[in-house]
Amino acid sequence: MNPPDTTKEQTDMSTAGGPSPDRPEVAPQAPKAADAKKTGHAVNVKDLNAYYGNQHAIKNVTIEFPANEVTALIGPSGSGKSTVVRCINRMHEEIPGARAEGCVTLDELDIYAPNVDVTAVRRLIGMVFQKPNPFPTMSIFDNVAAGLRLTGTKSSDLKALVHSSLQSVGLWDEVKDRLNEPGIGLSGGQQQRLCIARTVAIEPEVILMDEPASALDPISTLKIEELVDELKERYTIVIVTHNMQQAARVANSTVFMLDGEVIEHDETNKMFTNPSDERTERYVTGKFG
Amino acid sequence: MSATALPQISTRRRLTDKVMRGSLLAGTLIALIPLILIIYYLIHKGLSAWAMSGFFTTDPTGSFFGSPGGIRSAILGSLEIVALATLISIPIGIGVALYLTEFGKDSWFANTVRYFVDVMTGVPSIMFGLFIYIVLVIGRFGGSGFAAWKGAVAISLLMLPIVIRSAEVVLLLVPSSLREAALALGAPRWRVVFKVVLPTSASGLVTGSLLAIARGMGETAPLLFTVSTAFALTFSLNQQMNTMPFLIYTDITSPRAAIQTIAWGTALTLVAIVLILNLLARFVASRSRMA
Amino acid sequence: MQETRHQFHESLRALEEQALDGLELVIQQLDRALEAIAYQDVELAGMVVADDDRIDGRYLEVHQGILSLLARQAPVAGDLRIVAALLHVIRCVERMGDQCVNIAKLVPLSGYEAPKDKDILDAIERMGRLARSQVSQAKQAFAGRNTELAQDLVRQDTEINRLNREIFRRAVEVGDNLDMREWAMFMILVARCLERIGDNTVDIAEQTVFVVTGLFREFADTPTPPEAAATP
Repeated sequence: MNPPDTTKEQTDMSTAGGPSPDRPEVAPQAPKAADAKKTGHAVNVKDLNAYYGNQHAIKNVTIEFPANEVTALIGPSGSGKSTVVRCINRMHEEIPGARAEGCVTLDELDIYAPNVDVTAVRRLIGMVFQKPNPFPTMSIFDNVAAGLRLTGTKSSDLKALVHSSLQSVGLWDEVKDRLNEPGIGLSGGQQQRLCIARTVAIEPEVILMDEPASALDPISTLKIEELVDELKERYTIVIVTHNMQQAARVANSTVFMLDGEVIEHDETNKMFTNPSDERTERYVTGKFG
Repeated sequence: MSATALPQISTRRRLTDKVMRGSLLAGTLIALIPLILIIYYLIHKGLSAWAMSGFFTTDPTGSFFGSPGGIRSAILGSLEIVALATLISIPIGIGVALYLTEFGKDSWFANTVRYFVDVMTGVPSIMFGLFIYIVLVIGRFGGSGFAAWKGAVAISLLMLPIVIRSAEVVLLLVPSSLREAALALGAPRWRVVFKVVLPTSASGLVTGSLLAIARGMGETAPLLFTVSTAFALTFSLNQQMNTMPFLIYTDITSPRAAIQTIAWGTALTLVAIVLILNLLARFVASRSRMA
Repeated sequence: MQETRHQFHESLRALEEQALDGLELVIQQLDRALEAIAYQDVELAGMVVADDDRIDGRYLEVHQGILSLLARQAPVAGDLRIVAALLHVIRCVERMGDQCVNIAKLVPLSGYEAPKDKDILDAIERMGRLARSQVSQAKQAFAGRNTELAQDLVRQDTEINRLNREIFRRAVEVGDNLDMREWAMFMILVARCLERIGDNTVDIAEQTVFVVTGLFREFADTPTPPEAAATP
């Protein structure tokens, strides 16, 4: 009788043919949710170039932002991540001397088509900024309703809309008794959630967030991240962050940018366990940036 | 191990400190003295006029003999003219300031406008009067020679650069993040201005306007060539009208003491009104800061 | 100008050195255990058993170091893979140490003057040398991130497995001498311990490949050739 081999069973768990010294292309592992997100809206950026005067800030950037997912943009300062995001809702051109060329589409709509009403674009693509900026002369209620009033949109039940917006950001219970107090009387984290409620109230399809939690304390930051996770059920979210751990926690996929170019765009999991590009590896492990 | 004591302050430095403090204090007092003297004289000479019966309720008679009357028409005339000037200069002034901050920004045109506004603040007030005199008074524009409304135009020209300058400063203080927030919500430009920028800067604009009005109330030279004067109370803007500065100008040189006293009383009234306006401006400013 | 996170990378390097140095300790223990078996040196065997405390201590140190690094430095990507691999490696070190102890414990049991079969003894000796070289190679492969060297360990391990089966066969046919048979049984156990040591080095080789490529793949072991399944 032979002794049984004490080696383990042979299970081949990888998808690639075999280990090799250089990094092979690996198919991402995470299963895609079974086409459940039919209601979502995807943004596609193709060959985008953006300039500040003569400075070429964004170079031929192409990124797909899938519907109902959170995509994070990471990279060192000056890599152009904020600029990309501002090109999506056409805020970039508000800066004197700035211009953008290329193709940005929301589903099938071309955002940069000639004669497009910029304000209509911005109503579909909302934005939350780094520093919370509630309107100081308005009460909490008015702040949430501001989006509608500023765009001249009529709402059949304003109160209900404000209520649901505040609820969706988890602020309703905290402010329901003081809706008429000034918006700037809230704490930093609450103010930022108020700004998100204000954005949500105009019912956009996409929400862009430019470092939404970087001015906040850690607890508020975590609350905002949880909120982002909930919001992606209804919106497509793009978040710019210089906090890599935040991108790792919050995003489905991550884009790494450097000097105005996209270096790598992959599932967050892969990006942080086994990035394909050397530069991504070095940035993510903190060797530079 | 014993700790060494920190070095003591030298006597030379102590002395220098005292000398500098003393001289600055002295300078401040010297600057205050004329102001105090003015107020003292005003009160000393003008209070008796205030005590006169009918000072505020009757019009000046215009005659050298007999009762000189009161200054009612002057007060109301001043208020009318300045009110009209305000109505002209404030909307236009804020409008220009809005253009400079929101649309012109750093363009060469906007910078040129700013330059000329700065120049206008330095123009002697009599120039505005002369300008209106040549353009409107001599040609009997509107069917009259001297007229209250023409004086109001002159005063508004004087107030305009003050309003523009102070409004621009206040508008620039509105954080650009608020404009960005409004734009990002999809608001058209004009709504951003009217619903966000103006309400946010409202108290600052009010303060600036009040200061401009206070300035306008006290100007004499423009009125000389545009409004001249009248004695009777009138509300018609297309005629000559009495104003406080003009009254002071004519009455102070009168040989009759009683008329001189009227002039002092008018001066005191004028200062009092300007003072109230200034206090109002401060009040509005402090209330907005506390909000 | 120091690169950023200099402190962290230094700590990581030191941790790796600590873990790999554990393999040196294992080699030491293995040498002594095999010598004790060959010369039936009970005292030497006792030393091996006692010295296992050093390896256990090393395990705890590295384990604590890994926890600390994870908690404080949040390693990602390549750094994360190294930390995860070190956790495996130090476990393998500890197990290999335990196998050496098992070998040493078999010394007094196999009898002081037991008769020995030359073939079996040779085979054990060869297995021992192979095991030793595998541990050394595993250390080299991991430290140098050398995937070829790592892959080669599988080949050597196949040889150890073959020797293990051979010893078993020889022990079955060793003859009628009761003492000799008893001794041979114990040698089977020793061979088994050595074979396990070999398996652990293959684990380390797998971790090496994981660190380099980000892929975890169990190295295929050559299946038992059907003709070797002899039925008595």
